[in-house]
Amino acid sequence: MTWTMRVDWPSCAARGLCAELLPERIHLDEWGFPVVEGTVTPDLLGLAKAAATACPHRALRLVSAG
Amino acid sequence: MSLPSIDLSGPLLWFANRGTGIVLLVLYTAVVLLGILSATGRGPGRFVPRFVTQGLHRNLALLATVLLAAHVTTAVVDTYVDIRWFDAFLPVGGLYRPLYLGMGALSLDLLLAIGVSSLLRSRISERVWRRIHLLAYVSWGVAVIHTLGIGTDAGSPWGRWTVLSCVAAVVVAVAGRAVARRVQVVRS
Amino acid sequence: MSGAVLASVTSFPGAGAGAPVAPSAPAATVRRSLSARSVPRTVRTDPPAQVVATPGPVLLSGVLDGPSLEAHRDRFGQLPQLDLDTVLATVGAGAVVGRGGAGFPFARKLAAAATGRRRAVVVINLAEGEPASAKDTALALVAPHQILDGAEVVARALRTTEVHIVTPLERPAVGDAIAAALSERAAQPGRRDRSQPRWRMRAAEPGFVSGQARAVLELLAGRPGLPVTAWKPEAMSGLDGRPTLLSNAETWAQVAAVLRMGALGYAAHGTDTEPGTTLLTLPHRRDADTAVVLEAAYGTPWVDVLGPDVEQPVLLGGFHGTWADAGVLAEATVSREELRARGLGLGAGVVLPMRADQCPVAVTSEIVDYLAKASARRCGPCLNGLPALAEEMRLVALGETSASWTRIGELVGLVDKRGACAHPDGTARLVRSLLTTFDDEVALHLRGGCSR
Repeated sequence: MTWTMRVDWPSCAARGLCAELLPERIHLDEWGFPVVEGTVTPDLLGLAKAAATACPHRALRLVSAG
Repeated sequence: MSLPSIDLSGPLLWFANRGTGIVLLVLYTAVVLLGILSATGRGPGRFVPRFVTQGLHRNLALLATVLLAAHVTTAVVDTYVDIRWFDAFLPVGGLYRPLYLGMGALSLDLLLAIGVSSLLRSRISERVWRRIHLLAYVSWGVAVIHTLGIGTDAGSPWGRWTVLSCVAAVVVAVAGRAVARRVQVVRS
Repeated sequence: MSGAVLASVTSFPGAGAGAPVAPSAPAATVRRSLSARSVPRTVRTDPPAQVVATPGPVLLSGVLDGPSLEAHRDRFGQLPQLDLDTVLATVGAGAVVGRGGAGFPFARKLAAAATGRRRAVVVINLAEGEPASAKDTALALVAPHQILDGAEVVARALRTTEVHIVTPLERPAVGDAIAAALSERAAQPGRRDRSQPRWRMRAAEPGFVSGQARAVLELLAGRPGLPVTAWKPEAMSGLDGRPTLLSNAETWAQVAAVLRMGALGYAAHGTDTEPGTTLLTLPHRRDADTAVVLEAAYGTPWVDVLGPDVEQPVLLGGFHGTWADAGVLAEATVSREELRARGLGLGAGVVLPMRADQCPVAVTSEIVDYLAKASARRCGPCLNGLPALAEEMRLVALGETSASWTRIGELVGLVDKRGACAHPDGTARLVRSLLTTFDDEVALHLRGGCSR
């Protein structure tokens, strides 16, 4: 089962916690919003879940890819 | 061998209650400040990563819950003053300093709501969670009044200084957040 | 082309983007150029004041009969009573795809809505947010009962009576025409049966994004009609979490046509792989306030549709569309597949050939500027990225050498697929298409020139 992260854009307020917790897959654009690249491999699953839980606006979700 | 006994009407419980009380005020002030800090501004934290600030906010709140249980227990078990178990949860009907005791109960009730809603966050809508969480300001404010009204040490110089610092810190933080918000809206 | 000139479809004065929602994040620092010049306006960003519908082979075959229910029944017969399996098989065999721009197979949507556990909701999306498009408007004014028939047959097959119709507030004639058609249907004699649809009309606020599917569902739910993130397709979970079959007005009319004629009858038009017809909107050659809507069977050569204009650069698919270089369409036919193979798209059928005074670079700049202002302002990348992109495009169009190809590419990459709806995606598609198709024009502009 492959996972990826999806952003609920209307809720995202560019706080940046997700990029702090999962820099392997998320970096911030010039306005502070997350750019998600790639799928979440099993070794990163824990961090991905932490990133989704840490978002103050619950704007990040772990979803199954494909 | 006889077990050590605690004199339930002696000063030990009373000191424990006062001690936990003041520490709780400082702790909850820190929790509120950390909450404001982790939710203001954008991008990664400048000195400390945001997830650390956020984690500290959550963990201090958990620690405070344990201390709160101790604070309530020492008050109830102490036979010198008539405080019953339900007085810790019911804001009215107390026998000892009912107004300020009731404030403590109110503060605790609000904290319960905040705690439960946070545990069930994935099951409730974000808007509902946020509204309940904002009650933290009310809970904290009521706790300050509880401290001033019923706190034995609130009258002492160091007590007064502590309460004042806590209030000042929160006022400054809230003002800072309001300014930051306005700057955001103006710039966009 | 003889046609029926319709009543004017007046715009509201000052109609523009919907009420802005205060964003929670600040805008970017936009790079300012020393010049405050703006690109001259050559593109119309208001809906047309008048629409002309020309008679066509299927949907527009009754244009000259008038929009009445009587004329409709005389020409097309009674409403077919079909069960769900028959409907599914027929629309599947007829390969009916959505006409709202995405081209999604209708049969798949219907199947998804039908397998939901809760009772489905049917929505007719008439909120034609694209200013240059008038095909849904034309259908509403000329053949409303085709749209309503399609929705009614499917609603009955889904065993639901809840049918919503969303009309555009800035084209009041559409709402009036639908209301009139609904009263005609309500006035029908005969005992009332319980499976009759309970039609509900709603007007969508003016705005480019207000016709987006989720924005429409938000409006129906009583919230502001702006896009939100969809975690599941609306056919699975839409209004109130119920399976919601939302389709464009023309799609419903095409569904009615294929159910009426049967898949074989429908396939008499079009090609083997693309049966049927599609509605196209073109600007009137002599009157800038008028749009012409015509019906073309798939496989029709573009020369037949465009005449001499086929030698001009053409913007296909509206403001979120793609550029066809001058003369490219001369060898092509009206076919989604063929266009896709060439990197182009039909979208919602808006066809904009360039006039002699229009330069594709400047036109793209005007459109991107409009699209930036039309953002719902709910998503950070769109709210920040589109104005920055509009500013870069303005610099390119004006031939100011401070513009940068890399910067445009960067911004296009930053807005694409980073929003709750496809508004930034469509804008990115338009700019990318300009950069690929007219790379030499763009290069010329970056050096300060223009070939037109």
